[in-house]
Amino acid sequence: MNQNTDKQVYSKPLFIICALLAVVGLVCWVMQLTKGLQMTNLNTYNTWGLYIIGFMIFTGIAAGSLLFSSSAFLFNSMAEYKPYAAIATIVGVICSVATAGLFIMVDMGNPLRAWRFIAGANVSSPMFWDFLIIILYLIIGIIFVSTLMKVAKGQKDSKSMYGISLAAFIAGLLVTITSFVFALQVARPLWNNPVQPISFLAAAIVAALALQIILFSALNKSGAMPMSSDKLAKLGKIAGIFLFVELLVVIGEAIVGMYSGSGEEAPIIYWLVAGEGAVYFWVEFIAIIAGLVLLFKKTDTSVTGAGVALFAIFMIKYNLLQAQLSNPLLIYPGSPAYSSNAYFPSLIEIGLFIGIISFGVVLALIAVQKISLGTKTNVGVNSNQSHGNIGVEAKA
Amino acid sequence: MRYAMAIDIDRCTGCDACAVACKVENNLPNDIWWNRILTIGGKTANSPKGTFPNLQMQFLPMNCQHCENPPCVKACPVGATYKREDGIVIQDYDKCIGCRYCMVACPYSGVRQFNWKKPEYAIGMAMGDAAVTPHQSDVVEKCNLCIHRVDQGLKPACIETCPNRARIFGDIDDPNSEVSQAIKGRSYVKILEEKGTKPSIFYLT
Ligand code: SF4
Ligand code: SF4
Repeated sequence: MNQNTDKQVYSKPLFIICALLAVVGLVCWVMQLTKGLQMTNLNTYNTWGLYIIGFMIFTGIAAGSLLFSSSAFLFNSMAEYKPYAAIATIVGVICSVATAGLFIMVDMGNPLRAWRFIAGANVSSPMFWDFLIIILYLIIGIIFVSTLMKVAKGQKDSKSMYGISLAAFIAGLLVTITSFVFALQVARPLWNNPVQPISFLAAAIVAALALQIILFSALNKSGAMPMSSDKLAKLGKIAGIFLFVELLVVIGEAIVGMYSGSGEEAPIIYWLVAGEGAVYFWVEFIAIIAGLVLLFKKTDTSVTGAGVALFAIFMIKYNLLQAQLSNPLLIYPGSPAYSSNAYFPSLIEIGLFIGIISFGVVLALIAVQKISLGTKTNVGVNSNQSHGNIGVEAKA
Repeated sequence: MRYAMAIDIDRCTGCDACAVACKVENNLPNDIWWNRILTIGGKTANSPKGTFPNLQMQFLPMNCQHCENPPCVKACPVGATYKREDGIVIQDYDKCIGCRYCMVACPYSGVRQFNWKKPEYAIGMAMGDAAVTPHQSDVVEKCNLCIHRVDQGLKPACIETCPNRARIFGDIDDPNSEVSQAIKGRSYVKILEEKGTKPSIFYLT
């Protein structure tokens, strides 16, 4: 534990900047609430945008982080990450769920009616399943961390981690169900196929590991929780493998769509690869390749690689949404006119997007601070207790 | 009992009278059209495809298809859109949280529209039937087959207005209803039937 972390997090520049950005986001939300969703660049066709992209990414991060934390207790090959599981879960699961929840709230036209998710629940709606899964993530994340804490304090046997880890792992796999919001829609041929659940799972793992790499590099740098570059690089490699899966999905979709040249998917893929969406597609493609190169590189560049990989996932989700929404099934001209323009968010959307993520970072910083102090005062730094130690002396 | 509509596309001249009748009857806000006339032909509305003298143009009136198996109803997380006993799919503005998932789920792109702002109207006073439910900001709306008229035994406004009698309405389960009679012996298509939605609009060809 070095001096840095003893200092109050509230006085750190990163905290102050993020807090200010979160306030800017709040102002954007107030404007959107008073003037309506006309403040966005969404329309009858591109009816979902940046907020839903944020939601997809952060539910993915939550799921992937559950998979990461739990596998430390389930698989020997991941056991070296046990000391990091608590913080990974707090930041990756609990803070991410809060962030994802906010993204859904700001996307809603009537957030004050959100209680209807419970009161008026329609069990056949995949969006309702999503709602349940998000709550499940939060609950499992909290139980996971509190069990870890108890084990670390010696109040519970280390074996008790197994059950909750298994539950967390299964919950993480359920991210495939969040893809059903898209994959089950007959109106949307690009989404309506079985590759989506796999792609969502891969994206979740990439995004979560990328976030964890950034988190642990920062903690390592500040001295709060050392993690060797080997361990960081290993996370990078795992993220890289799943990013490669995403690359295969992207290439596969492009080839399948373009080969026949006709059918329902072909115009969507043409639009994306060579039409109005081409810029976005090639940015996505280059980001994936760059992410792969950086993550698999020998030298210690995993933070940059993680950042690029996160951006690649963002672009994958961005294009998943806009390519399909800009190319609906009925595109005959009429009033209001259909236009096949690409979607670009408005300033309010961008402000809210950045604001919500900044709010997530603020939460994470406070959590990290609390944990660091907690580990110092209550839990101690002795990692000889093996199992379940959330302490800080991971042998770097 | 299941309400259905037949639209004789050989009779439709693309005059937009039904679209305007719907707009007025339901006091639709600016930018909202429950009923639109699409053009199958050129790149813009009311334009043909081909070169003179071999031109082709066809109109496709498009409103909610009141699907028997409506994807929008399955998708709505809060039950704000649902199907009545008589087959009419309606929208409850008071329940709608404005998530727009139904717009994503409906294959008939554009029939569901969102009030992106507080409704504004072309003229300073409400038009149409006083029994129409007031419009709301940030909710989805769409054609409800003029339930305020149908429930009184009247026909929807678009049916009454069409100068070419291209639209026919009635109970498809009753073989003697106007709509059943109109379909009898005619060939028809249902749009995007392959999506399994079982639409209630028969396009007579
Ligand atoms: S046409 Fe669209 S809005 Fe109408 S019932 Fe079918 S799916 Fe729902
Ligand atoms: S926008 Fe309204 S009607 Fe449509 S799915 Fe959401 S809550 Fe249901």
